[in-house]
Amino acid sequence: MTLAIHNLLNDKTRLLLSVAGVALAVMLILILNGFLTGMNRQITSYLDHSPGALLVAQQGVENLLGATSLLPQNAADLASRTQGVEEVVPILSQFVILDLHDKKAPAYMVGYNPEVGGGPEKLGAGREPETDREVIFDRVLAERHDLGLGKRISILGKEFEIVGLSEETTSWMTSFFFIRKSAAEQLVRIPGATSFLLVTVEKSAEPESVASALGRAPGVDAQLKSKVAANDLTLFAKVFSAPLRMMVAIAFLVGSLVVGMVIYTATVERQREYGVLKAIGAGNRVLYQVVTVQALAASLAGSGLGVLLAAAAGRWIMAARPQFLVVLAPKDTAFAIAAGLLMALLAALFPARLVAGLAPAEVFRK
Amino acid sequence: MMTLAFRNLFHNRVRLVASTGGVALALMLILALDAIFTGVERQITAVIDNSGADVFVAQSGVRNFHMASSSLPASSVQAVESMEGVAAVTPILYLTNMVVIGEERNLAYILGLPEEANAGVAWKVSAGKALPGLGEAVVDRRIAENSGVGLGDPVEILGRKFKIAGLSEGTANITSSTAYISLQDFAALRGQGVVSYLLVQVEPGEIAAAVAKHIQAQLDGVTALPRQTFAAQERQVVKDMSTDVIAIMNLAGLSIGMAVMALTVYTATLSRRAEYGVLKALGARDAHLYRAVLAQALISVGLGFGLGVIFTWLLAQALLAMGSSLYLLISLESLVKVAAAALVIAGLSAILPIKQISGLDPAIVFRGK
Repeated sequence: MTLAIHNLLNDKTRLLLSVAGVALAVMLILILNGFLTGMNRQITSYLDHSPGALLVAQQGVENLLGATSLLPQNAADLASRTQGVEEVVPILSQFVILDLHDKKAPAYMVGYNPEVGGGPEKLGAGREPETDREVIFDRVLAERHDLGLGKRISILGKEFEIVGLSEETTSWMTSFFFIRKSAAEQLVRIPGATSFLLVTVEKSAEPESVASALGRAPGVDAQLKSKVAANDLTLFAKVFSAPLRMMVAIAFLVGSLVVGMVIYTATVERQREYGVLKAIGAGNRVLYQVVTVQALAASLAGSGLGVLLAAAAGRWIMAARPQFLVVLAPKDTAFAIAAGLLMALLAALFPARLVAGLAPAEVFRK
Repeated sequence: MMTLAFRNLFHNRVRLVASTGGVALALMLILALDAIFTGVERQITAVIDNSGADVFVAQSGVRNFHMASSSLPASSVQAVESMEGVAAVTPILYLTNMVVIGEERNLAYILGLPEEANAGVAWKVSAGKALPGLGEAVVDRRIAENSGVGLGDPVEILGRKFKIAGLSEGTANITSSTAYISLQDFAALRGQGVVSYLLVQVEPGEIAAAVAKHIQAQLDGVTALPRQTFAAQERQVVKDMSTDVIAIMNLAGLSIGMAVMALTVYTATLSRRAEYGVLKALGARDAHLYRAVLAQALISVGLGFGLGVIFTWLLAQALLAMGSSLYLLISLESLVKVAAAALVIAGLSAILPIKQISGLDPAIVFRGK
């Protein structure tokens, strides 16, 4: 143990660089996973904060995002007459690509009735739309494009005035904006169109049984909002998990190489000392332990620093680009530290091979 | 000095492999992410590029397919057909939804095509037919294979069961695929009286941009764009969405690459400290030694850059062979950017060892240290 620590501390700059290498790799793994966790929260934010426990959609539609739904004209009436239903909130929603200052900004349009609900949960500034030419814009998206209250934007060829700025309605992929449902009907050119119903059930009723009763109406499906949120998460996870895993794997390999290189160099430099140890009877196992302890110590320090760096980098990213939410979940942190330790074990393989092949007599020849 | 740099670098092969490998992987982080988005940009416009249409007409303010929806009155078909320079108009219905095969749910562009569609049809079909009839669907072959189904099997689209009548090629990307059903089925499921886009073919000799301009001027509430512009707008959506993510990943790749290189050049210089001392004692100037260190860093980073490109290319080939929808395309722009990043890495990583050498006492060699 003493020998390992001595070897490691012998050159402080080298130790610092190796710790930095592992820290950067661990930080990258954490930030990548933090992005995904943050994105997951942002994706379900509207569903999480909108009224009701159930979502009624067109038959076959099991997502809010990623799918378009058009309910039969009488769906809201039928739903409100269903036993166990307390309140029905209709919304008309779909993705829209906005052209803001020559940049394409995908946004999710929600048409709602301010008197009934379905709008943003938090209004940071301004008020709800009172006319069909007024819009509540996401605050972060507005700031990114130098927009604010009173400014005008074009949505599907029609001019709207920003009268409110909503909070917690953004993600790096898309942001939400809210207009009156009647305005949305004009934009999609289908009078009376409704995409989804947000249904609140009576306290005495079971949401699942109300959902099955609602689902019996023609042309609709009713599901728990939590189920729809899970479906949205699965959909986006499917898209992003492959590139994300690839990036994490590369970061992991880089970290392993960094630790491996440092411990290898430290071992090469102390080759003679290891030879002496072998000559006086130290077994390979002892020398493996020395090498492994060095790798573990460098990795532990690097992992710890990596977690701190990730927390700092996460804050910096969110301050510089507020559309990103980086969440360092405890399980992700544990995973990154475990990855750091695994890097150490893999890294110890190189120098261990060197030590194993070392001839004890070598030292006496030099 | 170059010889010294080479000798220092190639003296220890394991260290050389680890350092160039580390730099290669760090640069690969930048290259691979760029390649993913470039690949998506290419794949995402495949339906547009191969549509056979010269001009795309959409609802006013709609300039692409991805994450967009458009609604035009059915009367617009005749209005455009009668315009000068227009040879044929194919109205299509379009939206993004799920294609459900068994338990598998895949996001897809759903296109509703008329019986005698002149444009918008699947351009390459490996089995079955390209134009679906009533109750039929043409789906992407890869999506069908991954779900274990083929021709004649059922697929659920817009909440209704369809029979797979054709398997298309090149119609899937990392985010979604394309599924084709008949316009009549689509309209029955999503309401009549409107169409989403008009795919216009112009008369021979006519210029698409001029016809598009004419359509937009003559018809209220529409945006008409030539195919190339429409495709460019589609690519722009991906580009604008990914700019910030790419910037952050580039920074991460750059930092990691820098740490790896700094470590490599530092340890290589450290282990040759005595030799540098001898050179200094023999009268070598600091500037010569700095150049050797810098050359060492440049050679390492150059090798790492080459390896990084090879790794990314191999990864792209492996994904292609595995039938993955993740398509990596290395662009020249990306190569130039990564090469520039590599140069920055090499320059900065040489600072530490240069500092080491400048403080080196030539007498050290005589003291046996």
